[in-house]
Amino acid sequence: MAKWLKSPDKMARKYSLGAVYFCTGCGVIEIPPVITSRWDAERFGVVAAPSPRHANLFMITGYVAVKTLKAIIRTYEQMPEPKYTVAFGSCPVNGGMYWDSYNTIKHIDKYIPIDGWIAGCMPRPEAIFIAVTKLWMMIDKDAANGYIRYREYYDYYRRNQKKVLGKLAWPPLYPLKKNIEVEGKESKGKEYKEKELLSVRK
Amino acid sequence: MVIKIIQIIVYPILTFIIGIFFIGLSRKMMARIQRRYGPPITQPLIDLIRFFYQKGISHGSIFNFGVILSLAGSIVVLLFIPFGRMSPLSSSGGLLVILYIMLFAPLGIALSGGEGANPNISIGISRKLILSLGYEVPFLFIILAIMTYYKTTSITEIVKIQQEAGWALFTIPLFLPGIAYLLILPAIIGMRPFDIASAPQEISSGPMVEYSGKYLALVHIEHAFTLFIGIALFINLFLGGATNIGFFFLKMIVLFVIVLIVNAVFPRYRVEQAIKYLWKWPTLIAFVGLILTKIPIF
Repeated sequence: MAKWLKSPDKMARKYSLGAVYFCTGCGVIEIPPVITSRWDAERFGVVAAPSPRHANLFMITGYVAVKTLKAIIRTYEQMPEPKYTVAFGSCPVNGGMYWDSYNTIKHIDKYIPIDGWIAGCMPRPEAIFIAVTKLWMMIDKDAANGYIRYREYYDYYRRNQKKVLGKLAWPPLYPLKKNIEVEGKESKGKEYKEKELLSVRK
Repeated sequence: MVIKIIQIIVYPILTFIIGIFFIGLSRKMMARIQRRYGPPITQPLIDLIRFFYQKGISHGSIFNFGVILSLAGSIVVLLFIPFGRMSPLSSSGGLLVILYIMLFAPLGIALSGGEGANPNISIGISRKLILSLGYEVPFLFIILAIMTYYKTTSITEIVKIQQEAGWALFTIPLFLPGIAYLLILPAIIGMRPFDIASAPQEISSGPMVEYSGKYLALVHIEHAFTLFIGIALFINLFLGGATNIGFFFLKMIVLFVIVLIVNAVFPRYRVEQAIKYLWKWPTLIAFVGLILTKIPIF
Protein backbone atom coordinates (compact mmCIF):
# COMPACT_ATOMS: atom_id res chain seq x y z
CA MET A 1 0.00 0.00 0.00
CA ALA A 2 2.85 2.37 0.84
CA LYS A 3 4.34 1.65 -2.58
CA TRP A 4 1.03 2.57 -4.22
CA LEU A 5 0.97 5.94 -2.46
CA LYS A 6 4.64 6.61 -3.21
CA SER A 7 4.63 5.94 -6.96
CA PRO A 8 1.16 5.03 -8.27
CA ASP A 9 2.25 5.38 -11.90
CA LYS A 10 4.96 2.74 -11.60
CA MET A 11 2.76 0.29 -9.71
CA ALA A 12 -0.15 0.71 -12.13
CA ARG A 13 2.15 0.17 -15.10
CA LYS A 14 3.49 -2.97 -13.44
CA TYR A 15 0.19 -4.64 -12.65
CA SER A 16 -1.73 -3.62 -15.75
CA LEU A 17 0.05 -4.72 -18.91
CA GLY A 18 -2.06 -4.58 -22.06
CA ALA A 19 -0.44 -6.71 -24.74
CA VAL A 20 -0.96 -6.07 -28.47
CA TYR A 21 -2.85 -8.78 -30.36
CA PHE A 22 -0.41 -8.49 -33.28
CA CYS A 23 1.22 -11.84 -34.15
CA THR A 24 4.30 -12.03 -36.33
CA GLY A 25 5.31 -15.66 -36.57
CA CYS A 26 4.96 -19.16 -35.20
CA GLY A 27 5.60 -17.98 -31.63
CA VAL A 28 2.00 -16.92 -31.31
CA ILE A 29 1.00 -20.58 -30.98
CA GLU A 30 2.10 -20.27 -27.33
CA ILE A 31 -0.13 -17.27 -26.64
CA PRO A 32 -3.61 -18.94 -26.59
CA PRO A 33 -2.67 -21.30 -23.71
CA VAL A 34 -1.15 -18.35 -21.87
CA ILE A 35 -4.27 -16.15 -21.96
CA THR A 36 -6.88 -18.93 -21.57
CA SER A 37 -7.66 -21.20 -18.66
CA ARG A 38 -4.51 -23.37 -18.60
CA TRP A 39 -2.04 -20.61 -17.66
CA ASP A 40 -4.31 -17.67 -16.93
CA ALA A 41 -2.28 -14.53 -17.65
CA GLU A 42 -5.08 -12.22 -16.48
CA ARG A 43 -4.26 -12.99 -12.82
CA PHE A 44 -1.01 -11.05 -13.36
CA GLY A 45 -2.90 -8.20 -15.03
CA VAL A 46 -1.72 -9.15 -18.51
CA VAL A 47 -4.64 -8.81 -20.91
CA ALA A 48 -4.78 -8.73 -24.69
CA ALA A 49 -5.60 -5.15 -25.73
CA PRO A 50 -7.81 -4.85 -28.81
CA SER A 51 -5.95 -1.85 -30.23
CA PRO A 52 -2.34 -0.60 -29.99
CA ARG A 53 -3.69 2.64 -28.52
CA HIS A 54 -4.84 0.73 -25.39
CA ALA A 55 -1.66 -1.29 -25.01
CA ASN A 56 1.68 -0.85 -23.29
CA LEU A 57 3.36 -4.22 -23.91
CA PHE A 58 4.45 -5.40 -27.35
CA MET A 59 5.50 -9.03 -27.72
CA ILE A 60 7.31 -9.83 -30.95
CA THR A 61 6.47 -13.50 -31.33
CA GLY A 62 8.59 -15.38 -33.82
CA TYR A 63 10.60 -14.52 -36.89
CA VAL A 64 10.31 -11.08 -38.46
CA ALA A 65 10.11 -10.83 -42.24
CA VAL A 66 10.87 -7.52 -43.98
CA LYS A 67 7.19 -6.93 -44.69
CA THR A 68 6.27 -7.68 -41.07
CA LEU A 69 8.92 -5.24 -39.85
CA LYS A 70 6.99 -2.40 -41.49
CA ALA A 71 3.82 -3.35 -39.58
CA ILE A 72 5.80 -3.80 -36.35
CA ILE A 73 7.32 -0.32 -36.56
CA ARG A 74 3.99 1.32 -37.32
CA THR A 75 2.29 -0.54 -34.46
CA TYR A 76 5.09 0.35 -32.07
CA GLU A 77 4.90 4.04 -32.98
CA GLN A 78 1.12 4.09 -32.40
CA MET A 79 1.36 2.86 -28.80
CA PRO A 80 1.08 5.58 -26.10
CA GLU A 81 4.23 6.35 -24.32
CA PRO A 82 5.32 4.25 -21.36
CA LYS A 83 5.61 1.14 -23.55
CA TYR A 84 7.65 -2.04 -23.28
CA THR A 85 8.77 -4.54 -25.89
CA VAL A 86 9.68 -8.18 -25.37
CA ALA A 87 11.20 -10.31 -28.13
CA PHE A 88 9.89 -13.86 -27.88
CA GLY A 89 11.79 -16.82 -29.34
CA SER A 90 15.27 -17.12 -30.79
CA CYS A 91 14.39 -15.76 -34.25
CA PRO A 92 14.17 -12.06 -33.24
CA VAL A 93 17.38 -12.48 -31.19
CA ASN A 94 19.73 -13.53 -33.98
CA GLY A 95 17.67 -15.03 -36.78
CA GLY A 96 17.43 -18.47 -35.18
CA MET A 97 17.02 -21.21 -37.77
CA TYR A 98 16.55 -18.53 -40.44
CA TRP A 99 20.07 -17.18 -39.86
CA ASP A 100 20.94 -17.26 -43.59
CA SER A 101 17.54 -16.30 -44.97
CA TYR A 102 17.50 -13.35 -47.35
CA ASN A 103 14.30 -11.70 -46.11
CA THR A 104 14.35 -12.37 -42.36
CA ILE A 105 15.41 -9.60 -39.98
CA LYS A 106 18.22 -11.03 -37.83
CA HIS A 107 18.60 -8.39 -35.12
CA ILE A 108 15.24 -6.75 -34.33
CA ASP A 109 17.20 -4.64 -31.79
CA LYS A 110 18.50 -2.44 -34.61
CA TYR A 111 15.04 -1.30 -35.74
CA ILE A 112 13.02 -0.89 -32.55
CA PRO A 113 14.31 -0.90 -28.95
CA ILE A 114 13.83 -4.16 -27.03
CA ASP A 115 13.51 -4.30 -23.23
CA GLY A 116 13.72 -8.04 -22.70
CA TRP A 117 14.46 -11.25 -24.56
CA ILE A 118 13.02 -14.74 -24.17
CA ALA A 119 15.31 -17.22 -25.90
CA GLY A 120 14.26 -20.65 -27.05
CA CYS A 121 12.49 -22.35 -29.91
CA MET A 122 9.72 -22.44 -28.72
CA PRO A 123 9.84 -20.96 -25.23
CA ARG A 124 7.34 -22.62 -22.88
CA PRO A 125 4.42 -20.54 -21.52
CA GLU A 126 6.15 -20.54 -18.12
CA ALA A 127 8.96 -18.54 -19.72
CA ILE A 128 6.45 -15.76 -20.47
CA PHE A 129 5.55 -15.53 -16.77
CA ILE A 130 9.24 -15.42 -15.80
CA ALA A 131 9.63 -12.64 -18.37
CA VAL A 132 6.67 -10.76 -16.86
CA THR A 133 8.17 -10.93 -13.36
CA LYS A 134 11.56 -9.80 -14.76
CA LEU A 135 9.76 -6.93 -16.50
CA TRP A 136 8.19 -5.93 -13.16
CA MET A 137 11.68 -5.80 -11.61
CA MET A 138 12.95 -3.74 -14.53
CA ILE A 139 10.05 -1.27 -14.25
CA ASP A 140 10.77 -0.91 -10.53
CA LYS A 141 14.41 0.01 -11.26
CA ASP A 142 13.52 2.20 -14.30
CA ALA A 143 15.57 -0.20 -16.41
CA ALA A 144 12.81 -0.84 -18.96
CA ASN A 145 13.61 2.39 -20.79
CA GLY A 146 13.22 1.28 -24.40
CA TYR A 147 10.83 4.11 -25.26
CA ILE A 148 13.31 6.68 -23.88
CA ARG A 149 16.10 5.15 -25.97
CA TYR A 150 13.85 5.27 -29.03
CA ARG A 151 13.27 8.99 -28.52
CA GLU A 152 16.96 9.67 -27.80
CA TYR A 153 18.48 7.71 -30.68
CA TYR A 154 15.63 8.07 -33.18
CA ASP A 155 18.10 8.99 -35.94
CA TYR A 156 19.88 5.65 -35.57
CA TYR A 157 16.69 3.60 -35.63
CA ARG A 158 15.14 5.58 -38.49
CA ARG A 159 18.29 5.21 -40.60
CA ASN A 160 18.38 1.46 -40.02
CA GLN A 161 14.71 1.20 -40.89
CA LYS A 162 15.30 3.11 -44.12
CA LYS A 163 18.23 0.86 -45.00
CA VAL A 164 15.97 -2.20 -45.01
CA LEU A 165 12.60 -0.85 -46.11
CA GLY A 166 13.72 1.82 -48.58
CA LYS A 167 11.74 5.07 -48.51
CA LEU A 168 9.42 5.13 -45.50
CA ALA A 169 5.77 6.05 -46.14
CA TRP A 170 5.17 7.63 -42.72
CA PRO A 171 6.62 10.85 -41.23
CA PRO A 172 9.15 10.65 -38.38
CA LEU A 173 7.63 10.26 -34.91
CA TYR A 174 10.15 12.51 -33.18
CA PRO A 175 12.12 15.46 -34.61
CA LEU A 176 15.32 14.24 -36.19
CA LYS A 177 18.65 15.69 -35.03
CA LYS A 178 20.37 15.41 -38.41
CA ASN A 179 18.53 15.89 -41.66
CA ILE A 180 18.59 12.31 -42.91
CA GLU A 181 15.28 12.59 -44.74
CA VAL A 182 16.87 14.20 -47.82
CA GLU A 183 18.11 11.65 -50.32
CA GLY A 184 21.88 11.21 -50.56
CA LYS A 185 22.70 12.83 -47.23
CA GLU A 186 22.10 9.76 -45.15
CA SER A 187 25.71 8.86 -44.44
CA LYS A 188 26.65 12.28 -43.08
CA GLY A 189 24.80 11.95 -39.75
CA LYS A 190 26.56 10.70 -36.65
CA GLU A 191 26.86 6.92 -36.56
CA TYR A 192 25.89 5.34 -33.26
CA LYS A 193 27.94 2.25 -32.46
CA GLU A 194 26.41 -0.79 -30.80
CA LYS A 195 28.60 -0.23 -27.71
CA GLU A 196 27.20 3.24 -27.12
CA LEU A 197 23.66 1.88 -27.09
CA LEU A 198 24.71 -0.84 -24.63
CA SER A 199 26.15 1.77 -22.28
CA VAL A 200 22.84 3.65 -22.29
CA ARG A 201 21.03 0.50 -21.31
CA LYS A 202 22.96 0.35 -18.00
CA MET B 1 -30.11 22.90 0.50
CA VAL B 2 -26.64 22.12 1.86
CA ILE B 3 -27.55 18.43 2.03
CA LYS B 4 -28.58 18.53 -1.65
CA ILE B 5 -25.25 20.06 -2.68
CA ILE B 6 -23.31 17.45 -0.67
CA GLN B 7 -25.42 14.73 -2.30
CA ILE B 8 -24.69 16.10 -5.80
CA ILE B 9 -20.95 15.85 -5.05
CA VAL B 10 -21.03 12.48 -3.26
CA TYR B 11 -23.45 10.67 -5.58
CA PRO B 12 -21.18 10.44 -8.71
CA ILE B 13 -18.20 9.35 -6.56
CA LEU B 14 -20.26 6.60 -4.93
CA THR B 15 -21.63 5.55 -8.32
CA PHE B 16 -18.11 5.46 -9.77
CA ILE B 17 -16.95 3.12 -6.98
CA ILE B 18 -19.96 0.83 -7.47
CA GLY B 19 -19.62 0.78 -11.27
CA ILE B 20 -15.90 -0.03 -11.07
CA PHE B 21 -16.67 -2.74 -8.50
CA PHE B 22 -19.22 -4.21 -10.90
CA ILE B 23 -16.72 -4.28 -13.77
CA GLY B 24 -14.15 -5.99 -11.52
CA LEU B 25 -16.79 -8.47 -10.34
CA SER B 26 -17.76 -9.25 -13.94
CA ARG B 27 -14.14 -9.96 -14.91
CA LYS B 28 -13.60 -12.19 -11.88
CA MET B 29 -16.88 -14.07 -12.36
CA MET B 30 -16.31 -14.56 -16.09
CA ALA B 31 -12.87 -16.00 -15.24
CA ARG B 32 -14.35 -18.40 -12.68
CA ILE B 33 -17.04 -19.54 -15.15
CA GLN B 34 -14.27 -20.22 -17.70
CA ARG B 35 -12.31 -22.11 -14.96
CA ARG B 36 -9.58 -19.50 -14.66
CA TYR B 37 -8.30 -17.87 -11.47
CA GLY B 38 -9.11 -14.39 -12.72
CA PRO B 39 -7.66 -10.95 -12.03
CA PRO B 40 -7.87 -9.25 -8.63
CA ILE B 41 -11.18 -7.45 -8.12
CA THR B 42 -9.39 -4.06 -8.16
CA GLN B 43 -8.01 -4.67 -11.68
CA PRO B 44 -10.26 -2.08 -13.48
CA LEU B 45 -9.09 0.58 -11.02
CA ILE B 46 -5.43 -0.32 -11.69
CA ASP B 47 -6.14 -0.10 -15.43
CA LEU B 48 -7.73 3.34 -14.94
CA ILE B 49 -4.67 4.62 -13.03
CA ARG B 50 -2.42 3.28 -15.79
CA PHE B 51 -4.50 5.04 -18.47
CA PHE B 52 -4.30 8.33 -16.58
CA TYR B 53 -0.50 8.12 -16.44
CA GLN B 54 -0.15 7.17 -20.12
CA LYS B 55 0.37 9.80 -22.76
CA GLY B 56 -2.93 10.23 -24.59
CA ILE B 57 -3.27 11.18 -28.24
CA SER B 58 -5.98 13.71 -29.09
CA HIS B 59 -7.54 14.10 -32.54
CA GLY B 60 -8.82 17.67 -32.21
CA SER B 61 -11.12 19.72 -30.00
CA ILE B 62 -14.38 17.99 -31.04
CA PHE B 63 -12.75 14.70 -30.03
CA ASN B 64 -12.18 16.00 -26.48
CA PHE B 65 -15.57 17.74 -26.33
CA GLY B 66 -17.55 14.62 -27.28
CA VAL B 67 -15.99 12.55 -24.50
CA ILE B 68 -16.80 15.22 -21.92
CA LEU B 69 -20.35 15.59 -23.33
CA SER B 70 -21.09 11.89 -22.98
CA LEU B 71 -19.63 11.79 -19.46
CA ALA B 72 -21.64 14.86 -18.42
CA GLY B 73 -24.83 13.39 -19.89
CA SER B 74 -24.32 10.22 -17.85
CA ILE B 75 -23.73 12.20 -14.64
CA VAL B 76 -26.89 14.28 -15.17
CA VAL B 77 -28.98 11.14 -15.72
CA LEU B 78 -27.48 9.68 -12.52
CA LEU B 79 -28.56 12.64 -10.43
CA PHE B 80 -32.22 12.06 -11.42
CA ILE B 81 -32.23 8.41 -10.31
CA PRO B 82 -32.94 7.78 -6.61
CA PHE B 83 -30.35 5.62 -4.85
CA GLY B 84 -31.86 4.54 -1.57
CA ARG B 85 -33.06 7.80 -0.01
CA MET B 86 -30.48 9.79 -1.99
CA SER B 87 -32.07 11.62 -4.93
CA PRO B 88 -30.44 15.04 -5.44
CA LEU B 89 -32.28 16.27 -8.54
CA SER B 90 -35.50 14.26 -8.47
CA SER B 91 -38.47 16.34 -9.51
CA SER B 92 -41.98 15.75 -10.79
CA GLY B 93 -40.92 15.04 -14.39
CA GLY B 94 -37.90 12.83 -13.68
CA LEU B 95 -38.76 9.97 -16.03
CA LEU B 96 -39.24 12.26 -19.04
CA VAL B 97 -35.89 13.98 -18.40
CA ILE B 98 -34.14 10.60 -18.15
CA LEU B 99 -35.78 9.50 -21.41
CA TYR B 100 -34.25 12.50 -23.20
CA ILE B 101 -30.81 12.73 -21.59
CA MET B 102 -30.07 8.99 -21.74
CA LEU B 103 -29.29 9.44 -25.45
CA PHE B 104 -26.46 11.89 -24.67
CA ALA B 105 -23.91 9.17 -23.90
CA PRO B 106 -24.03 7.30 -27.26
CA LEU B 107 -24.38 10.59 -29.18
CA GLY B 108 -21.34 12.12 -27.46
CA ILE B 109 -19.22 9.08 -28.26
CA ALA B 110 -20.48 9.24 -31.86
CA LEU B 111 -19.56 12.92 -32.10
CA SER B 112 -16.05 12.44 -30.74
CA GLY B 113 -15.39 9.19 -32.58
CA GLY B 114 -16.13 10.81 -35.93
CA GLU B 115 -13.00 12.90 -35.48
CA GLY B 116 -10.81 9.79 -35.23
CA ALA B 117 -11.11 8.83 -38.94
CA ASN B 118 -10.63 5.12 -38.33
CA PRO B 119 -12.90 2.74 -40.31
CA ASN B 120 -13.50 0.65 -37.18
CA ILE B 121 -14.88 3.73 -35.43
CA SER B 122 -17.50 4.47 -38.09
CA ILE B 123 -18.63 0.82 -38.11
CA GLY B 124 -18.81 0.84 -34.31
CA ILE B 125 -20.74 4.10 -34.16
CA SER B 126 -23.29 2.99 -36.73
CA ARG B 127 -23.77 -0.23 -34.76
CA LYS B 128 -24.12 1.66 -31.50
CA LEU B 129 -26.75 4.05 -32.88
CA ILE B 130 -28.68 1.20 -34.55
CA LEU B 131 -28.64 -0.68 -31.25
CA SER B 132 -29.90 2.33 -29.31
CA LEU B 133 -32.66 2.74 -31.92
CA GLY B 134 -33.48 -0.91 -31.26
CA TYR B 135 -33.84 -0.69 -27.50
CA GLU B 136 -35.40 2.79 -27.34
CA VAL B 137 -38.71 1.55 -28.83
CA PRO B 138 -39.49 -1.10 -26.15
CA PHE B 139 -37.98 1.22 -23.52
CA LEU B 140 -40.50 3.93 -24.46
CA PHE B 141 -43.40 1.46 -24.17
CA ILE B 142 -42.14 0.33 -20.76
CA ILE B 143 -41.87 3.89 -19.45
CA LEU B 144 -45.33 4.74 -20.86
CA ALA B 145 -46.87 1.69 -19.19
CA ILE B 146 -45.34 2.65 -15.83
CA MET B 147 -46.46 6.27 -16.19
CA THR B 148 -50.05 5.41 -17.15
CA TYR B 149 -50.43 2.83 -14.40
CA TYR B 150 -49.09 4.96 -11.55
CA LYS B 151 -50.35 8.28 -13.07
CA THR B 152 -47.10 10.10 -12.21
CA THR B 153 -43.78 10.89 -13.91
CA SER B 154 -41.69 11.18 -10.75
CA ILE B 155 -39.51 8.22 -9.82
CA THR B 156 -39.57 8.97 -6.10
CA GLU B 157 -43.40 8.86 -6.21
CA ILE B 158 -43.31 5.52 -8.03
CA VAL B 159 -40.91 4.10 -5.44
CA LYS B 160 -43.13 5.37 -2.61
CA ILE B 161 -46.28 3.78 -4.09
CA GLN B 162 -44.47 0.47 -4.62
CA GLN B 163 -43.24 0.32 -1.04
CA GLU B 164 -46.87 0.53 0.15
CA ALA B 165 -48.64 -1.55 -2.50
CA GLY B 166 -46.00 -4.14 -3.48
CA TRP B 167 -43.35 -4.41 -6.18
CA ALA B 168 -44.38 -3.58 -9.75
CA LEU B 169 -42.75 -6.77 -11.05
CA PHE B 170 -45.38 -8.82 -9.17
CA THR B 171 -48.48 -6.75 -9.95
CA ILE B 172 -50.70 -8.08 -12.70
CA PRO B 173 -50.40 -5.76 -15.73
CA LEU B 174 -46.93 -4.42 -14.92
CA PHE B 175 -45.01 -7.71 -14.84
CA LEU B 176 -45.09 -7.74 -18.66
CA PRO B 177 -43.11 -4.45 -19.03
CA GLY B 178 -40.82 -5.77 -16.26
CA ILE B 179 -39.98 -8.87 -18.30
CA ALA B 180 -39.49 -6.69 -21.39
CA TYR B 181 -37.03 -4.49 -19.43
CA LEU B 182 -35.10 -7.58 -18.32
CA LEU B 183 -34.85 -8.66 -21.97
CA ILE B 184 -33.43 -5.32 -23.14
CA LEU B 185 -31.20 -4.74 -20.08
CA PRO B 186 -28.08 -6.33 -21.71
CA ALA B 187 -28.56 -4.00 -24.69
CA ILE B 188 -28.74 -0.92 -22.46
CA ILE B 189 -25.56 -1.76 -20.54
CA GLY B 190 -23.80 -3.27 -23.58
CA MET B 191 -23.26 -6.83 -22.41
CA ARG B 192 -22.80 -10.06 -24.29
CA PRO B 193 -25.77 -10.93 -26.46
CA PHE B 194 -25.77 -7.25 -27.50
CA ASP B 195 -22.13 -6.12 -27.29
CA ILE B 196 -22.11 -5.60 -31.06
CA ALA B 197 -21.00 -1.97 -30.70
CA SER B 198 -17.74 -2.69 -28.89
CA ALA B 199 -16.94 -6.14 -30.25
CA PRO B 200 -13.21 -6.47 -29.45
CA GLN B 201 -12.67 -9.54 -31.65
CA GLU B 202 -14.52 -8.17 -34.69
CA ILE B 203 -13.88 -4.44 -34.96
CA SER B 204 -11.17 -3.85 -32.31
CA SER B 205 -13.56 -2.46 -29.66
CA GLY B 206 -15.37 -0.24 -32.17
CA PRO B 207 -15.76 3.42 -31.16
CA MET B 208 -13.01 3.13 -28.51
CA VAL B 209 -10.25 2.07 -30.92
CA GLU B 210 -8.58 5.50 -31.28
CA TYR B 211 -8.82 6.53 -27.60
CA SER B 212 -5.69 6.35 -25.52
CA GLY B 213 -4.45 7.58 -22.18
CA LYS B 214 -6.84 9.79 -20.23
CA TYR B 215 -9.50 9.85 -22.98
CA LEU B 216 -9.78 6.07 -22.76
CA ALA B 217 -10.00 6.36 -18.97
CA LEU B 218 -12.93 8.81 -19.30
CA VAL B 219 -14.70 6.42 -21.69
CA HIS B 220 -14.23 3.59 -19.18
CA ILE B 221 -15.70 5.74 -16.39
CA GLU B 222 -18.66 6.56 -18.63
CA HIS B 223 -19.19 2.82 -19.16
CA ALA B 224 -19.23 2.29 -15.38
CA PHE B 225 -21.93 5.00 -15.06
CA THR B 226 -24.02 3.43 -17.87
CA LEU B 227 -23.85 0.10 -16.04
CA PHE B 228 -25.16 1.76 -12.90
CA ILE B 229 -27.97 3.64 -14.70
CA GLY B 230 -29.40 0.56 -16.46
CA ILE B 231 -29.52 -1.53 -13.30
CA ALA B 232 -30.63 1.20 -10.86
CA LEU B 233 -33.50 2.24 -13.13
CA PHE B 234 -34.89 -1.31 -13.14
CA ILE B 235 -34.72 -1.52 -9.34
CA ASN B 236 -36.48 1.81 -8.90
CA LEU B 237 -39.22 1.10 -11.44
CA PHE B 238 -39.93 -2.59 -10.82
CA LEU B 239 -38.29 -3.84 -7.61
CA GLY B 240 -39.60 -1.08 -5.36
CA GLY B 241 -36.35 0.81 -4.78
CA ALA B 242 -35.06 0.66 -1.21
CA THR B 243 -35.12 2.77 1.94
CA ASN B 244 -31.37 2.59 2.51
CA ILE B 245 -28.27 2.33 0.35
CA GLY B 246 -27.16 -1.13 1.51
CA PHE B 247 -30.40 -2.86 0.58
CA PHE B 248 -30.44 -1.11 -2.80
CA PHE B 249 -26.86 -2.28 -3.45
CA LEU B 250 -27.84 -5.87 -2.55
CA LYS B 251 -30.67 -5.80 -5.10
CA MET B 252 -28.28 -4.39 -7.71
CA ILE B 253 -25.76 -7.22 -7.15
CA VAL B 254 -28.45 -9.92 -7.50
CA LEU B 255 -29.69 -8.41 -10.78
CA PHE B 256 -26.15 -7.91 -12.09
CA VAL B 257 -25.16 -11.52 -11.40
CA ILE B 258 -28.18 -12.71 -13.42
CA VAL B 259 -27.12 -10.47 -16.32
CA LEU B 260 -23.54 -11.75 -15.97
CA ILE B 261 -24.57 -15.40 -16.23
CA VAL B 262 -26.43 -14.59 -19.45
CA ASN B 263 -23.31 -12.71 -20.59
CA ALA B 264 -21.07 -15.71 -19.88
CA VAL B 265 -23.22 -18.25 -21.71
CA PHE B 266 -24.57 -16.55 -24.83
CA PRO B 267 -22.57 -15.61 -27.93
CA ARG B 268 -22.93 -12.28 -29.70
CA TYR B 269 -25.83 -11.44 -32.04
CA ARG B 270 -25.22 -10.03 -35.49
CA VAL B 271 -26.59 -6.52 -36.06
CA GLU B 272 -29.72 -7.50 -37.96
CA GLN B 273 -30.41 -10.39 -35.55
CA ALA B 274 -30.24 -8.02 -32.60
CA ILE B 275 -32.68 -5.54 -34.19
CA LYS B 276 -35.03 -8.37 -35.20
CA TYR B 277 -35.02 -9.67 -31.63
CA LEU B 278 -35.38 -6.26 -29.97
CA TRP B 279 -38.26 -5.12 -32.16
CA LYS B 280 -40.06 -8.48 -31.89
CA TRP B 281 -40.26 -9.94 -28.36
CA PRO B 282 -39.55 -7.06 -25.92
CA THR B 283 -41.59 -4.63 -28.01
CA LEU B 284 -44.52 -7.03 -28.24
CA ILE B 285 -44.51 -7.86 -24.53
CA ALA B 286 -44.17 -4.21 -23.50
CA PHE B 287 -46.96 -3.17 -25.90
CA VAL B 288 -49.35 -5.79 -24.51
CA GLY B 289 -48.47 -4.54 -21.03
CA LEU B 290 -49.18 -0.95 -22.07
CA ILE B 291 -52.63 -1.90 -23.45
CA LEU B 292 -53.48 -3.91 -20.31
CA THR B 293 -52.74 -0.91 -18.08
CA LYS B 294 -55.48 1.04 -19.90
CA ILE B 295 -58.11 -1.67 -19.18
CA PRO B 296 -59.96 -0.61 -16.01
CA ILE B 297 -60.22 -4.15 -14.52
CA PHE B 298 -56.61 -4.03 -13.27
